[in-house]
Amino acid sequence: MRESIIMKIHYGTALAAVALVAVHILFRMTQKFSDSLSYQNVIANYHFLPYALMLEVVLILLSVHGFNGLRVILLELKQGVAYERAINYGSIAATVALVAYGSRTILMAGMGMS
Amino acid sequence: MAERLSNREGIRGMANPTRYGIERVAYWLQRLTGLGLLAYLIGHIYETSSIVNGKVAWEKMLELTQTPQGHIILTIVIGMCVYHTANGIRVMLGHGGIGVGKPGEPEYPYKAASLNYKQRLCIWVSIALAALAMMYGAAVLFGD
Repeated sequence: MRESIIMKIHYGTALAAVALVAVHILFRMTQKFSDSLSYQNVIANYHFLPYALMLEVVLILLSVHGFNGLRVILLELKQGVAYERAINYGSIAATVALVAYGSRTILMAGMGMS
Repeated sequence: MAERLSNREGIRGMANPTRYGIERVAYWLQRLTGLGLLAYLIGHIYETSSIVNGKVAWEKMLELTQTPQGHIILTIVIGMCVYHTANGIRVMLGHGGIGVGKPGEPEYPYKAASLNYKQRLCIWVSIALAALAMMYGAAVLFGD
């Protein structure tokens, strides 16, 4: 994929993530911060389907943006065919692993498997 | 070849925020906050995964994170998040050609049109917004 397209994805994920993370933070501010972290409240959040779907989208957006940012930093640091290939595939693998692990939590908590 | 290699500073050069003014500091902070936020994201996903192990595991995790040290870390994360967002929007607009001025003839002392007062102001505003958000965040976290 061309770097110009990757940068558009990087900026797009950033803007979308800012909006959705703001909603995520506002959800914590609807009540006292410590109360919003109570077990029942957090489980209720996961059972609320629109919110759970939003968390999944935030997870994907931030993982893609975060690991692409790390990829950019590592490619600025050093260049070379083998190195660049390792960084590119490594960042894709890390993104997939983080999304899979986070999705597991959202699915299990949302389906009452806790 | 030896001369070219001698100019390579590697990670030390990247970690040095000095020599090139506030724009370099902004670049350095953008990368530093990005790395910090990625580390927090991974930690946050791991932290919240404890909910699938039941109420006891969740409360045990809260005992670890809902401490003064945990609140200090969260306050720093708030600051990193706000700076990264505000400065990131400046960078995005700059890449789109907004606020970078028009190219002109290079004249002594060869000041780049793109490094103008608007850009510098935006960097300082990003830092100020981050400081304000940290103060608000600390008030909410410690005032609980």
